[in-house]
Amino acid sequence: MLATPTEGPAQTPDLSGNWIRGGRLEFGEWSLTAEGRRELEGYDFKTEDPGYRCLAASWARAWMNPNVVVRITQTPEEVRFQHEFMDIDRRLPIAEAAQANPPRVSIPGQPALGSSIAWYDADSLVIETTDVGPGYVSTMQEWAGLPQSRRMRTVERLRRSGDTLTIELTHDDPAYYRKPLVVTLEYKKTDFELMRYDCSPEEASIVAPR
Amino acid sequence: MRVALIALVLTAPTLADGLRAHHSTVVNFDSTREVTIAGVLTEVTWRNPHSRFRVNVTGEGGAMVEWLVEMGASNTLKRAGFPMETFAVGDRLTVTGWPGYRDRSVLLRETVLQDGRRLRP
Repeated sequence: MLATPTEGPAQTPDLSGNWIRGGRLEFGEWSLTAEGRRELEGYDFKTEDPGYRCLAASWARAWMNPNVVVRITQTPEEVRFQHEFMDIDRRLPIAEAAQANPPRVSIPGQPALGSSIAWYDADSLVIETTDVGPGYVSTMQEWAGLPQSRRMRTVERLRRSGDTLTIELTHDDPAYYRKPLVVTLEYKKTDFELMRYDCSPEEASIVAPR
Repeated sequence: MRVALIALVLTAPTLADGLRAHHSTVVNFDSTREVTIAGVLTEVTWRNPHSRFRVNVTGEGGAMVEWLVEMGASNTLKRAGFPMETFAVGDRLTVTGWPGYRDRSVLLRETVLQDGRRLRP
């Protein structure tokens, strides 16, 4: 089901501040199509991790990177995410329910991250992303190589409870998955400041001795 | 000439707490084993997404080979208070960690400096 902005006055949960990756990280059960399984089994971590080129493989991958800070800034018109990971700066206008074609925002130089719109839904911020470049939902841990195709549609739901920010990402990709893949992770409120990441492909690709 | 000690030990699986390389520790390194190398630092690089040492290790027979020692992102190491300023090219040290799936690579879990200090990122 395509997620859409809801009717009625928008509520604005307070997600602002600096947050650091920590706490829960869970991948739900996945069910791959035959093509999806071929992609997963064919993944070569030695050569295909987009991180070697300072590229984020997906929004899930950007969010799940360990020990990174994200700064969230909110105005009535916009929510801004400054991700330390790969210095990703995501400024999303808040869409209104009646808006016919809300502007979609993409991240320059990050083709796998597609284009997104955002709106508030009760106590959550919802972000929908489409037009992603093909790649991988994850390059980490036992989930490394889970693929994403150009048909991937991702819905992120961000909800705050005290000093914990929960991000639930629902991945819907009929090319590779028989049912949506849900990833849930947490960030914690932090006093750490955002630092530059300054990834360089020349440096990031050095993973073996000479 | 001092001969470097290289030990490959089978250990019970352990989970790295805190610091993990960006491209996934367990994808790139074997957490069920442990290796120890000793040698001389020829490069010290603090970067994101991962930092590294290059270490010249003298193996059996006197042949010198280079090992790549990987660590977490420099931002992570700074926040953890890891004393990055301690390390300099030319230093002798011992590194223990998980061997990589690429030859002569290791994820640093502990290092022992020439003065005997033990440091863990």
